[in-house]
Amino acid sequence: MFSVLMAVYKVLLPCALLLLAGSPMAAEKQASKTHRVEIAQMKFNPSSLSVRPGDTVVFVNLDVVTHDVTEASGKLWKSPPLAAKSTWKKVMKTSANYYCSLHPVMKGTITVK
Amino acid sequence: MKSLEKIKTAVLACLLSVFAFGSTVLAQGNPTLSDAEVASAAVTANQIDIDFAAIAKEKSKDTQVLKFAETMANDHRAVIEQAVALAKKLSVTPKDNAVTQQLKADAEKTKAQLRAKSGKAFDKAYIDNEVAYHTSVISAVKDLLIPETENEELKELLMSVVPALEAHLEHAKMIQHNMSKK
Ligand SMILES: [Cu+2]
Repeated sequence: MFSVLMAVYKVLLPCALLLLAGSPMAAEKQASKTHRVEIAQMKFNPSSLSVRPGDTVVFVNLDVVTHDVTEASGKLWKSPPLAAKSTWKKVMKTSANYYCSLHPVMKGTITVK
Repeated sequence: MKSLEKIKTAVLACLLSVFAFGSTVLAQGNPTLSDAEVASAAVTANQIDIDFAAIAKEKSKDTQVLKFAETMANDHRAVIEQAVALAKKLSVTPKDNAVTQQLKADAEKTKAQLRAKSGKAFDKAYIDNEVAYHTSVISAVKDLLIPETENEELKELLMSVVPALEAHLEHAKMIQHNMSKK
């Protein structure tokens, strides 16, 4: 009885592993990318970006003045103040409009799809 | 020649003071500012907006006005630090001149007017002045200081400041608009 169970287990385990590896979740993990948004001359560049769920977006402040990255509703997420030359990253799960709360005329969009 | 230059600089200073009214006469002039004088005018123009912000921090209770004033103080300080560092690197000592003097004289008048106000009247006067001041400084940087600058690095620095000034102007206009709806 025990040996039958072992045999089943030996066959099933690799199958289970294969299934896991082939699942969409694992595929997404492998494909997750890092995107760069530069903050320069008082603009987010690119100001409109399309990413996959789970991708990382790195914001790099190339200006001499401090900026931040604030989700448009002001409730979901917000970066700390980003001084000159500093960076901040966020893993994106849902689409968002964002702006700089220090310079509200600076705006951007990230579409997650 | 010396006195001619003096006259030119004096004319320039007068023209600068009417920039707030949308004058573009400066483009026709033939001013004579050295890089050391341009550096002085640039630092002074930034310091003046820091001074206005300090008055706002003292007098305003409006959160969007206070936040704007804080951005002005921080951004203009960052620009001054950059300008001072570059001047040092280039061994240029900012030199006082008629443009700097005119900027200072105008600023003193504005500061007195701001200090005389309080409450909502102060907020309005401060933001209205920020709109006018940034408008005139953008024109002065673009049409006077940049063309007057010989050194490429100093010129690049001045050019890189323009987008920040423009963002400040749009921000001030946004607050001005919000206030008019209240
Ligand atoms: Cu900003």
